[in-house]
Amino acid sequence: MLKKLLISILFLVPFSVYSADVPITGNVQSRCVITTDTPGIYGNPNAYTLTTASTDGGVQPIVRYDVTLADAYYAQITTPTSFAQSPSLSDTVTWTGSTEVSSVSDATNMGSYETNKVTFGQTTQYDLTATGSTWFKSSSTATYGGNKAFPGGSYTANVEAICVAK
Amino acid sequence: MKKLYALILLLFSTSAFAHDMVPTYPELRPSYLDGVMVTDLELFNKRNDVEYYEIAVFDENWNSVPFVTSYKILKLSYLDRIKFSVYIRSKDKDRAMYVCTKSRIRGESGPSTIISSMICSKFKKDF
Repeated sequence: MLKKLLISILFLVPFSVYSADVPITGNVQSRCVITTDTPGIYGNPNAYTLTTASTDGGVQPIVRYDVTLADAYYAQITTPTSFAQSPSLSDTVTWTGSTEVSSVSDATNMGSYETNKVTFGQTTQYDLTATGSTWFKSSSTATYGGNKAFPGGSYTANVEAICVAK
Repeated sequence: MKKLYALILLLFSTSAFAHDMVPTYPELRPSYLDGVMVTDLELFNKRNDVEYYEIAVFDENWNSVPFVTSYKILKLSYLDRIKFSVYIRSKDKDRAMYVCTKSRIRGESGPSTIISSMICSKFKKDF
């Protein structure tokens, strides 16, 4: 009996020594993180239109904001007003765009984001009053002047997602 | 248990494309140079489509405020973290409101939209 007890103690002592000093350190700071969830794609329903509408073969860009401090940030999302990359265009391009809340992690405290949004020009501003994640979905349409056909080539436009501390 | 799975999915599904900067409210303090204030920030690049970030300082009306850093455009590989200092003249300390980092996007091929991200911290004004 005593032998078994001694063996048990021998097993227990080394474990308690090794498991005593394994520090895990961390530093938590309030932050706003912008995550590009889905880069958009333009569909080309006719020769003179590029659009992210899914019904026209496009994909809407989605961006996610994670905030860890309530009522400390604004989210500002601006849809494109020009191409970042395109073939040479001789006529004007008309741009339309909008942004809306796609999903939230806290429906109770984030439910009013969409109704309280402020839009100026192509920019939509949201007051991030709660902690958690919010997904914003933008739409963008470019129409070439006089219903002319867009020249063949590669087209890229830029959605700007900004998180500003209040 | 469901919540745990959701959290794990959330963390792993979106950890690849994020732009992260701290602190939210940096504080300007006197630097080793007369008439110059400094603050420290940290940038973490979790966007695998971005390698460069541009630093900018603005006033409350989003006009540029002069500042100095080691590099105004930071090269930051995917999953790298960098600490950097921003120096501002003492006479501009009341005017400087935001310090921002903005992703610099490479051109993409194909008809697409690209998402540029900008995070702006706000200077503490209680010095």
